[in-house]
Amino acid sequence: MTEDLGRLVHEAEEALAAASTDEAVRQVEARYLGRKGALTALMQRLGALPSAERPAFGKAVNAAKGELEAAAKRRFAELREAALAAEFARRVDVTVPGRRRRVGHIHPITRATRDASAIFGELGFEVAEGPQIETDFNNFEALNIPKDHPARDMQDTFYVEGGHDLLLRTHTSPVQVRTMRSRRPPVRIIAPGVVYRRDDDPTHSPMFHQIEGLLVDARVSLAELKGVLLHFVHRFFGPDLGVRLRPSYFPFTEPSAEVDMQCVFCRGAGCRTCKQTGWLEIAGCGMVSPAVFEAVGYDPEAVTGFAFGMGIERIAMLRHGVSDIRLFYESDVRFLGQFR
Amino acid sequence: MRVSLEWLRELCPVDASADAIATRLTGLGFEVEATERLGDGLEAVVVAEVLASRPHPQADRLTLVDVSDGVARRTIVCGAPNVPAPGGKVALANPGARLPGGLAVEARVVRGVDSAGMLCSETELGVGDDASGIMILDADSRVGAALADALALRDVVLHLGVTPNRPDALGLLGIARELAAALGAPLRAPDAEVAALEQGRAANAATSVEVLDAARCLRYVARVVEGACVGPSPFWLRRRLRAAGLRPISNVVDVTNYVLVELGQPLHAFDLARLRGERIVVRAARDGETIATLDGVTRTLAADDCLICDAERPIAIAGVMGGGDTEVRGETTRVLIEAACFEPRAIRRTSRRLGLRSESSLRFERGVDPNGVDRASRRAAQLICATSGGRLARGAVDVYPRPVAPRRVSLRGDRCRALLGAAVATGEMAARLASLGFGVTRTGDTLEVDAPTFRPDIAREADLCEEVARVGGLDAIPIALPPLHEGPRASGDALLEAVTDALAAEGLDEARSLAFMSPQDFGRLGVTRPDPRARCVTIRNPLGVEQSLLRTTLLPGLLGAVGRNLQHKAESIYLFEVGRVFFATRDVAPDERRHVAGILCGVRAGGFGERAEVELADVTGVLEGLAERLGWTLECQAAKETLLHPGQSARVLVGGEGRGLCGQIDPRLRQRFEIDRPCFAFELDLAGLPAPAPVRMRELPRFPTIVRDLSVIAGDHAWGEVRKTIAALGVPHLEDVCLIEDYRPGQGPRSLLLRFTYRAPERTLTDDEVNAAHESAVARLLASLGLARR
Repeated sequence: MTEDLGRLVHEAEEALAAASTDEAVRQVEARYLGRKGALTALMQRLGALPSAERPAFGKAVNAAKGELEAAAKRRFAELREAALAAEFARRVDVTVPGRRRRVGHIHPITRATRDASAIFGELGFEVAEGPQIETDFNNFEALNIPKDHPARDMQDTFYVEGGHDLLLRTHTSPVQVRTMRSRRPPVRIIAPGVVYRRDDDPTHSPMFHQIEGLLVDARVSLAELKGVLLHFVHRFFGPDLGVRLRPSYFPFTEPSAEVDMQCVFCRGAGCRTCKQTGWLEIAGCGMVSPAVFEAVGYDPEAVTGFAFGMGIERIAMLRHGVSDIRLFYESDVRFLGQFR
Repeated sequence: MRVSLEWLRELCPVDASADAIATRLTGLGFEVEATERLGDGLEAVVVAEVLASRPHPQADRLTLVDVSDGVARRTIVCGAPNVPAPGGKVALANPGARLPGGLAVEARVVRGVDSAGMLCSETELGVGDDASGIMILDADSRVGAALADALALRDVVLHLGVTPNRPDALGLLGIARELAAALGAPLRAPDAEVAALEQGRAANAATSVEVLDAARCLRYVARVVEGACVGPSPFWLRRRLRAAGLRPISNVVDVTNYVLVELGQPLHAFDLARLRGERIVVRAARDGETIATLDGVTRTLAADDCLICDAERPIAIAGVMGGGDTEVRGETTRVLIEAACFEPRAIRRTSRRLGLRSESSLRFERGVDPNGVDRASRRAAQLICATSGGRLARGAVDVYPRPVAPRRVSLRGDRCRALLGAAVATGEMAARLASLGFGVTRTGDTLEVDAPTFRPDIAREADLCEEVARVGGLDAIPIALPPLHEGPRASGDALLEAVTDALAAEGLDEARSLAFMSPQDFGRLGVTRPDPRARCVTIRNPLGVEQSLLRTTLLPGLLGAVGRNLQHKAESIYLFEVGRVFFATRDVAPDERRHVAGILCGVRAGGFGERAEVELADVTGVLEGLAERLGWTLECQAAKETLLHPGQSARVLVGGEGRGLCGQIDPRLRQRFEIDRPCFAFELDLAGLPAPAPVRMRELPRFPTIVRDLSVIAGDHAWGEVRKTIAALGVPHLEDVCLIEDYRPGQGPRSLLLRFTYRAPERTLTDDEVNAAHESAVARLLASLGLARR
C-alpha cells in the first residue's frame, strides 16, 4: 500500500503538471483528493492494514494529501501567471490613430459674432434683429440719407423686385430704426447680421456681416462711446491695444468718426497689414444724429445716443490672419476645419 | 483729392513736416490714404548754361553743346533740334543719373565724340509731356542748382479722402483753412483782385446771361477776357496742375482747372466768338435734345437736365461738361469765363443718368458755395489775363436772384460738453469755431454761430459740437463707460446658437454661403409652382446673372460646396448651414425665413480604419441628435420630396408639424452639380421654433424594468408605422418600445426585432402581469397590421 501511495502521489503530480487549465487542475484535485478520489479510497483501505502500521500510513496519506493540495494551489497560481503573461504578451500599437467621432467646426464668422455679442452683452447690450430685405425708408431715409444724396454713393445697393423701394440692406443700421420705432428709450442693443453691397474683390464681398451697436438714454456722451469701443477692442483683441477715433462722416451720426485700433500684428510699429501706419480701421461710429431721432419719433432734446458698426469679417480676418474675404463663403472644408 | 504741400503751404504757411501735416489732416477727418513724393530721381540733374554749340562732325542731326554746370565746362552730344543760344539754361543729367523714366545716363562716346552727360526733355525728366526737344529753363535759373530746386519740383502730394459732406475741402483753400485752425497758423486766401486789370468795355456790353431755370442754376457769373493769346501755360502752373493730377492743356483751360483745385469752384471757359448771339441762356433741357460734349461723345438729354445754351443751341451740360463746339482752342481770343452754382441734386441726377462724372460734377453735386462764385471768377480772370495777355472787360454779369445768407445755429456750451463728455470751456468753443471761419457771438453759455455758406453741412447744434471736437482732436475726448444697465442679457439668437452647436457636435462643419442663387442652379433644382421654392426674389441690379436670384433653399449652396470640395479630393464632407431664404409674395415684402440644412457625402467620419460611405442612417442620425439636443420630437415620414431619391425620401416633422425634408439627394440633381457620389441631406424651416428652455429634471425610476423581445416579419411596413401602431394600443405599463434589429435573413422577408420595456413607477411588476399585457399587445399589433411573428 505504501507503494500505491507513492505511485498515486507521483501520478497526481504528473497530472497537475500536465493540467493546462484551471478546470483540468480541478479535475486532478477531484481525482486524487475528492470524496471519491484515489487518496480518499486509499484512506478507506486503512482498516486492511495491521493496526501497528495504521498510524504511520494514515500520517503518510495525510501528508501526501497536504502536499498535493499545495501542489494544486501552486499550479493554479502558475496558470494565473501564465495567463497574465500571455495577456501581457499581447501588444497593441499605441501610436495607431484612435477611433474617432467626427468633430464639427463652427464658422469663424459665427465665433466672432458670438464673442462680440457676449462682450457687448456684459455691458447690457441686448441682441436685436431685422429683415435683410429692407425698405428704402429704414435703410436710408430714416437714417438721414435722402434720395440723390451723395452719401448713397458710399453704399452701392442691390434692389429687389416686388414692390418699389425694396432693397437688400446695406448695413445693419435699419435695425436701429426698427428698434427705436418700436420702443421707448432707454435703448441698448447690438444687431449682428448679414448685409449686402454691390462690391466683389479680395477685400469686399457682395454679402458680408456687420455688428451694429446703439445706446440711447437721457445723457449719453462721446466719451462713453470711446470707452465702450476701447473695452471691446481690449476684450476681443487684447488688453494693450490702443484705440483712436478719427473724424469722419456718416449721415446718421453727428459727430461721426472712424475707429482705428493699433495693428494686432505689429502692435503699432508699422507693418504690411497696416500699411506702415500702425493703425487698422475696424469700425465707424458717432453720436446719433438728431435727424434720426426725429425720424423715429424720439425727442432729440430729451435723449442723446451713440451708434457704432463694424464688419465682422474684418475683425475675424484680423483675429485669424485670413487674407481673402471670399474664403469665408467658399465652404472649403480645408478652411472650415481649421477653426476650433 | 490730391494735395500738393508746396501749394498748400502757400495758402497756409506752416513749417510742419509733411508727416506732421498728414497726421493733423487725418485727425481732422481728412484721411491721408497715400503719400507721394515728387522730384525724386532728379538728384543728378542740374541747371547748366549753354556756352557754345556746333554741329557734330559725323552726324547731321546731332549737335555738340559746350555747357557749364558752374564748376566745369564740358561737351555734351545732343540730338534735340532746339539747343538754345549761348546763355540759355538747360537741364543737364550727369553720368550716373537714373531718370524717372528709367533711363540711366552714362558718359559715352557718340559717333566718335565723348559726351559727358545728357541734356534732357520734359518727358525724360518726368516733369511734363513735351518730348519735342530739350527743356529750356528760365533765364534766371541759377547755374549748378539742382533741377528739382530750380523748378520747385520737390513736393509731397497727399492723397486725401474727403467725405461727401465737405465740398469745401475739395479745394485747397478749404483744406488750408482746416490746417490753419488746427495748427493756429495764418490762412492766406489767394489774391483775386481784378480792379487794376479791367479796361475797355463792360462785360454786360460784351455778353448777356439769362437764367430761365433758376431752380437748378442758383447763380451765374460771366466775365469776359478779350485779346487773349491761347498757348501753353507757364511751367509753375503746369507743375501744380500735374501735382493735382490734372493734365495741362492750354493757359486758359489750365487756369480754370487751377482755380477749381485752389478754390473748389468749377469753372468753364467758352470761346465767346463761337457763341451764337454771344450770350448765355440757362434752361432746362428738352427730352431727347442732344449735345456733343468736349470728350467727343454725343449725349442725349432729358427734361431733368439743366443746359447752358447760347442764343440757339446747347453749349454745355450745366455743371457736368462743356460742349465741343464752343471750347477754347488755339485761335480763340475772346473768352467767356463761366463761374456758376448749380443745385446739387440736379447735377447728381444728370451725372448719374449720363454715366458722366467730372471734376465739376463731383463738386457741384456736393454743394459749391454760392457766395464764393464771384471770387473764383475774379481769380480765374486775373490768372487768364496774366498767362494769356488778355484784357479783362469791366465788371461781370452776375445773375444771383436769391442770395444765400449764412445759416445761424445756436450752440449751448453745456449741451456740447454733455454730448462730448469733455470739459471744453465755452470760450474755447467760440475760438475753435471762429478759427474755421464761423461768425460767433457769445451770450452767457450760448454761442450764436453763423456758419459760412461754404459749409452746407452745418445745420444743427450737433454739427457745431462735431466742429468743436474735431478742431480740438478726438484724442482729447476722455474715456468713460456708460452706467450699469439692468436690461435683459444679450443671449444671441438662442435657437440658432443651439442648432449650430448641436450640428457641430454631430460632426458637421458650419458653412456660410452667399445668399444669391444663379438661374442655372435654380433650374437644376427643377422645382415648379406651386412649390414655394419656385417663388424666387429677383435682384434688379445684380453684379452678374449668376447672382441674380435670392435663394429659396439652402441646398444649392451646399451642393455647390460639396462639388468644390470633391474637386479638392476631400474624402468626407459633412456640412451644415443656418441662414435665411427668401420667398416672393403677393404682399409688398418678401417672406424671409430662417432655415437649417445639412449635407453628408463621402466616407463616414473620415477617421482611421473607416472606409464606409455615408448612408441614409447617417443623416437621420444627425437629425435625431439635433432633436435630442434641442428637445424636439422629430419624426421622419416616408414621402416623395422633389429634390430627393424616390426610395430614400422623407418629410420631417418637428412636434408633429411639417418642417422640411431628409433623404438622399436625387442622383440626377447631384450630377447636375458635378457630384459623382451619393449625398444625404436635410433642410428644415426654423421659423417660430422656440429656443430650448432649461430642462426640468425627471425623478429617477425606483423600480426595475421587465423586457420582452418580439421578432416580426414586417415586409413593407415601416418601423415608424409599427411604432405608431403600438403607441396607439395603450399597452399598460409599456414604458418604451424600440427597434433592436432590422434584418433580412437569407432571401426571406424583412424582419424587425422589437424590444418592449415595461415598468410601473410605484411598484415592481410581476412576470405574470407583464406577460398578460405583452401577449395582448402583440396579438393586437399583429392583427392590426397583418403581421406574423418570426
